[in-house]
Amino acid sequence: MAASSDVCDILELKGDESKTMTKASIINAGIKKKPKQKENVFKRPEGMHRELYALLYHDNMDKPPLLPTDTMQTYQTAKAKLSCTVVRPWRWMPFTNPARSDGAIFHHWRREEDQAKDYQFAKFDKTVQVPVYSEQEYHQHLSREDWSQDETAHVFELCRRFDLRWHVVYDRYDHSRFPQEKKRTLEDIKERFYSICNSLNKIRKQPGEVVEEIVFDADHERRRRQQLRKLYARTEKQVEEEAMLIEELKRIEVRKRERDKKSQDLQKLIAFDSGNEGFKGRAERKSSKKRISGVRKDGQPGDEKISETTYGIKFPDTKSSGVMLRSQMMKLPISVGQKKTKSLEQLLTELKIDMHPMPTENVVQLFNRLRSDMVYLYDLKVAYASYEMELQTLRYKWDAIAPGHLPPVEDLNFHLEKMDQTSARKRPVDTQSDADSAQKTDSASDQLIDVGCPSPPVKKPLLE
Amino acid sequence: MSGGVYGGDEVGALVFDVGSHTVRAGYAGEDCPKADFPTAIGVEMIDQMETDGGEVKPEKKLSIDTNKLLYPKKGAEVVNCLEDGMIKDWDTFEALLNHTYKNYIRSDSDLHPVLVTEPAWNSREKREKLAELMFEKYNAPAFFVCKSPVLTAFANGRYTGVILDSGATHTSAVPVHDGFVLQQSFVKSPLAGDFVLMQCREMLKSMNIDVVPHYMVASKEEVKVDAPAKWEKKKNLPEVTESWKRYMLNHTLKDFAASILQVSDTTYNEMECMNMAKVPYYFPNGFNHEFGPERLSVVENLFNPINVRGAAPNSMLGVPHVVTSCINMCDVDIRPGLYNSVIVTGGNTLLQGFTDRLNWELSSKTPPTMRLKVNCTSSSVERKYSPWIGGSILASLGTFQQMWISKLEYEEGGKSCVERKCP
Repeated sequence: MAASSDVCDILELKGDESKTMTKASIINAGIKKKPKQKENVFKRPEGMHRELYALLYHDNMDKPPLLPTDTMQTYQTAKAKLSCTVVRPWRWMPFTNPARSDGAIFHHWRREEDQAKDYQFAKFDKTVQVPVYSEQEYHQHLSREDWSQDETAHVFELCRRFDLRWHVVYDRYDHSRFPQEKKRTLEDIKERFYSICNSLNKIRKQPGEVVEEIVFDADHERRRRQQLRKLYARTEKQVEEEAMLIEELKRIEVRKRERDKKSQDLQKLIAFDSGNEGFKGRAERKSSKKRISGVRKDGQPGDEKISETTYGIKFPDTKSSGVMLRSQMMKLPISVGQKKTKSLEQLLTELKIDMHPMPTENVVQLFNRLRSDMVYLYDLKVAYASYEMELQTLRYKWDAIAPGHLPPVEDLNFHLEKMDQTSARKRPVDTQSDADSAQKTDSASDQLIDVGCPSPPVKKPLLE
Repeated sequence: MSGGVYGGDEVGALVFDVGSHTVRAGYAGEDCPKADFPTAIGVEMIDQMETDGGEVKPEKKLSIDTNKLLYPKKGAEVVNCLEDGMIKDWDTFEALLNHTYKNYIRSDSDLHPVLVTEPAWNSREKREKLAELMFEKYNAPAFFVCKSPVLTAFANGRYTGVILDSGATHTSAVPVHDGFVLQQSFVKSPLAGDFVLMQCREMLKSMNIDVVPHYMVASKEEVKVDAPAKWEKKKNLPEVTESWKRYMLNHTLKDFAASILQVSDTTYNEMECMNMAKVPYYFPNGFNHEFGPERLSVVENLFNPINVRGAAPNSMLGVPHVVTSCINMCDVDIRPGLYNSVIVTGGNTLLQGFTDRLNWELSSKTPPTMRLKVNCTSSSVERKYSPWIGGSILASLGTFQQMWISKLEYEEGGKSCVERKCP
């Protein structure tokens, strides 16, 4: 191909190859091969499997390939057919730029065929439209006391020249030409500009036309920048202090969350406890609520409800389909942690109870309940230990803050008892005198306990 | 329309970047200037023979370009046409342009539009005079003058940033916003290349090392470290002027500075630098000495000008201070953008460890809410020529071709169109 066009060129023959090159001709687009017509000689009869039909041989089918081949039509970069046509010459030629107002002539390299075309970069000549006002408009609507006409004109000149790049406008603003008592700020200039734009829009709009107002809140801008300035003007020490305070706040929040979690745990424990001891009133209320909602369950609704809390062991429902061994019912669920399992085993060996007793129905039930109670006991012990510990640390803290003013432990105990007494009304009051003597420290210890374990549930009536 | 894809369109423009140390000139669109020669030139006054007029008029004989300038001549004074980065001596400047057109451009000046760089603080009269010169003397078809910090930013592919330019006579930081220089808030300091050379001279003086420039040395012998030099002075050297001698001395010291000096990574601490590896330097007369902590202490004054001899403290700003005070003079809204693009340029910044130290100093001064980024090209050519390269890019952009001041516009609008058309 290449050779033929060259030969034609040398012999100065104008074949059809001499047509100018286009992008399409280079990549040979547009010419598509016609897809082969498939002629089915033998149509698949009704009822014949496709797989079987595909095995049949017919004339216009090649032999089946021995190896899998990949000749599918996929995306390919088009092959350029270069040097098939004559070259398109470039010339160093003059041009005018439509984006220029003076029609100056420059020279550049250009394809001969593009000679007549407009300068391609002229289309990038974009400017921001800055409104123009007449003298009359200015005097009627736009004049303001603190702005002279000259100064306003100066602002608009700069805006036009720098395409509303405000920082540049402010930089080039001629403060010496328009001296003010207070040096004009960027916000002043912006405010003036936008207010004029808005009023021009307003007076020029056609009746019925809705013009969008440009919102510029100069005061807000001023405040914002003032704040920014303050933010950047912070000294290193201030920055450090702030970081420290934030850190402290985070720590406090974490502590608070921990305490909340603990008190919730306690609440749960107490709720479980009261349920176990046959806190009928509450259970009754609950079950009645359940009845109202239409869900009715056999057995003791209260027990069931409470055992849903995480304390004790919740043995899975055994009513699964199919046959199963009863010993399966004794299997500990996975939800019981390893620690608990271990302590369970230990306790069982201590009590000399067989780990795997004969699983009669009765035994299974009792054994499960025993272990559930054991786990519950374990939880209570853990909770007790943690509170004891917290109490101890708080006492140390108290001692550190106000040494010598620590209420004796008995007082605390008494205080707790008193609380129980007021709530439960069951235990007899031990000594009135003790209570009197403890009166002085009461409020303090009250606080202490409140800090240690915010425990509203304790104050609830445990027994009726 | 060549390379129209990249937005480029060359019109055969020329770019001139006249710095206080060297002149860079060449065709726009190329990646490196064709000419790079010293701005300083030697001027000889020659009494001319009496002519018909009967008047004896001394004629100036100029020695321009490296070779001529460095050759010792009797009575040749070294002059520099720039002062404070601005053109002062227009005759000498014209001589430089003539030389460039004749020896490097090698084409008629009326065929090529001209783009000239200028410092950010150039005065209106000077740029107007420059336009006058280019249009009326050189008959240029079009002319444009552009601030060199803007061009440096363009060469680094940015249109916003603060440009730290540490050249021969001064170090300056200029904020550029959206391709425009903010003229109210640039900062300049005289601590730059010449200052470093002066410090070197002082140091060598205090060490009793006599620096002999190349031109005096006829032959030399190898000697041991710190041994007195064995060398022969060239015979029949002409009587040279003081200014030329000083120029030659600085020329030697420049090599010394480039090969020996190093900026310490953090604030200079003499104790820490005591056990630094020593670097030997061979002076032109064969004398050699191993330099240790002096390598660092000399340039420390660039960053920490407290110990500058013979200057009141705080009268000069160190390099990092130049940058931060420049940024702090700008509007709060654009400060983060400026911190994020500190562009380093100028031959003096090629001192070993300069950018690392700058980075370290600035990062401790940057407000915690802003991100610091120091942009510097690693290649020394780009660092030295970045205003020229920016000009080369700008003048070969298709969209720039509408911005030239054409000869017609100049003739119609007069000189004042420079101020209007070139921001």
